[in-house]
Amino acid sequence: MTTTTQKKSIWDRLEAVPREALYALLLIFFIIPMVNPIGFPVPISDEVRRWYNTIDALPSGSAIMIDFGYSGGGEPELGPMAVAVYHHIFSRKAGLKAICMSTSIEGPLLWDKAMAEVNPSRYGANYGKDYIHIGYISGGEIAMASIGKDLRAAVSTDYKGVSLDTFSIMQGIANAGSFQLLICYTTGGDQSEGWVRQWYTPYKTPYLCSVLAMMVPTMLPYQKAGQIISVTSGAQAGQMEVLVKVPARGIKSADVITMTHLLVVGFIVLGNIAYYAKKFSGGSK
Amino acid sequence: MMRLVRRQIPIGVVIVTSVIVMSDYFFKITGTGPLVTMLTNWGIILTAFTLGFGAINLFYLHTRHIRRRTSGQWFFSIWLLLMVVVFAGTGILTGATSSTYTWLYNSSYFALSATVYSSLGFYMTSGIYRSLRARNIEALLLLITGTIAVMRNAPALAVAAPILIDMDKWLSEFVVTSAQRGIMIGAALGAIALGIRTLTGRETGFLGRLTEAEREG
Amino acid sequence: MSVQLYPGRIFALGMLMSLTALIILYMELSKKTLPEFRKLAGLDALPEMMGRAAEMNRPVHFTTGLGELTGTVAPQLVAGLAVLGHVSELAARVGVKLVYTVYQAQVIPLATELMRQAYVKEGKADAFKPEEQIVYMSGEQFAYASAVQGFAERERPAANIMIGPFYAESMLFAETFFRIGAIQLAGTARGYQIPFFAVVCDYLLIAEEIYAAGAYLSKDPIQVGSIRGQDIGKIIALVLMLAGVITTAAGMTVIADLLKM
Repeated sequence: MTTTTQKKSIWDRLEAVPREALYALLLIFFIIPMVNPIGFPVPISDEVRRWYNTIDALPSGSAIMIDFGYSGGGEPELGPMAVAVYHHIFSRKAGLKAICMSTSIEGPLLWDKAMAEVNPSRYGANYGKDYIHIGYISGGEIAMASIGKDLRAAVSTDYKGVSLDTFSIMQGIANAGSFQLLICYTTGGDQSEGWVRQWYTPYKTPYLCSVLAMMVPTMLPYQKAGQIISVTSGAQAGQMEVLVKVPARGIKSADVITMTHLLVVGFIVLGNIAYYAKKFSGGSK
Repeated sequence: MMRLVRRQIPIGVVIVTSVIVMSDYFFKITGTGPLVTMLTNWGIILTAFTLGFGAINLFYLHTRHIRRRTSGQWFFSIWLLLMVVVFAGTGILTGATSSTYTWLYNSSYFALSATVYSSLGFYMTSGIYRSLRARNIEALLLLITGTIAVMRNAPALAVAAPILIDMDKWLSEFVVTSAQRGIMIGAALGAIALGIRTLTGRETGFLGRLTEAEREG
Repeated sequence: MSVQLYPGRIFALGMLMSLTALIILYMELSKKTLPEFRKLAGLDALPEMMGRAAEMNRPVHFTTGLGELTGTVAPQLVAGLAVLGHVSELAARVGVKLVYTVYQAQVIPLATELMRQAYVKEGKADAFKPEEQIVYMSGEQFAYASAVQGFAERERPAANIMIGPFYAESMLFAETFFRIGAIQLAGTARGYQIPFFAVVCDYLLIAEEIYAAGAYLSKDPIQVGSIRGQDIGKIIALVLMLAGVITTAAGMTVIADLLKM
């Protein structure tokens, strides 16, 4: 008994490129711009510009509530954005009070990481006077509701356990009404949407939100409805770095994003050419 | 008696606390402010408690694996419990924000977490390559919108071809936003319905394991 | 004691009360006459999926994703558990090993009871082995994701059912199970993850279809009535939207003012 084997045509092979080959190519396209930055141009999007302008327009002495609500997995994307925004807040030298909390249990550790990158002392900013972290508060939306209603009842110490009364930044900070702006960095939609429900809806606190790129489409309705001033993705950190004039990890990632996106477009085109060529040539011969 | 304790009383507690907290959103009732603040703070405490409870559960389940020498599992259980002890011990002895704990976190969990998250990019690439094929009209629409979104999010391409920004903006503002709104409204109604079933005692999942009689109330 | 209604929240209160009344009404009406459902292809495919697993002599994997019974995504978790009950009956019927991997430990007693009842109903109480079939993986997102991927690679289930709240791990699951050749049914109301499931999985339940799933499969009057009430709520929302579009285009603000009440 003989067996016949069908020889795979070039189109069969191109239509079903092994994922190992795809991943290898993707890895190469990641590494090249990381090792050797190309310097692709970076356009400033409306969302990032709106974000920048919102912080720029804050009156002196404004209090900003910042939620470091992302996990370690989201740090490579959201960390650069958080750092760039802190550069902006401190560089304004307008006595802005950056009061940070975390709805993510890893938040305080990631905040430490971000602050090490920012180096607030270069702006003359001091912990307890210009910025503070009041710790991880469990409960998600319950935490947001609680600190919105009565912050001092929900938390009485900073993230190191020191009483909030010892810090001048916390003077006059009682509830959501004490804040002129809310910023949230998160990898979890429950947090980004939760702040809309617990702070924007009852207190109308202006709200800026930075999330993972894949979350932006789901957050767009809130932006369109005016509940969030601007929704950006962490991948747009490079644009923020251009605006605040502190190039760092974000701008480096912009090259990687361009290269890998080009590669993905190439894969899409290749896959479709192979599909149709195979179809019109009558399949494998 | 068991039915009263395991079903009626918990449902009663849920109804009373829910009505108080929900009323606080709609009505300004003098005297209830501190009560609502207290209830929401209890919620924070309970959530924090469940974290600790989760750790206890972890110990219970994994010590069972070790005791029973579950094949292919028990040595991983030993390693897991060892890591829990190391992290907890370091946190308690040196503080959860100390440099030692931070180093431990950065060199283990953070690195692993970021790595697994990053692997999503690879999975998405193979998914895109396989699925964005113009097999029919719906697939063609998916292909076009997906390609526009990918190209627009490449910064250099957006600079080279600004029309991508306008096309993506149109898609986002009209197509994506309207679809997401529909999904959100549906999901919100589902959540409201579950809340109503819970408040009327028709949803007893949160009560844990009940007997047939207790479930029927 | 004074009671004042907050301005700007009157309409929301009115809608909430109306929805509550509607849902309770339909829950009661459904006890007499059960409303009909449109077809949900994913759920109709469940027997086919279980049959495939039986033929291949491979297990079936079930997950309700991440999320807690006390969190904001609890409705999705509950929906997933409702489907688990039905899938357990099918698994018991065809003699397939169903493995439910657990993220949230508090779900274990519920799942155990659900699955046990399903096996008892099929007359196969002895076939149910909770220690093998309900596997607590981890309470950490990516530890759970890695554990499930490991399970997929080792056990190579013939079918994968994912109903519940999913986060970033959704794509990890979908791609991994695709790679091992499993047929997949996925459903979530978290809009962020629906596209990933849509692209990879064979069958998909979008958003509120997962809430309908439990009712669709069990035909429980309470659940069915609740879904009917939700549908009426959606119709009200649609009517308001259309009225809003028409009146706003005509230069009137009556609907906008109503919503802002």
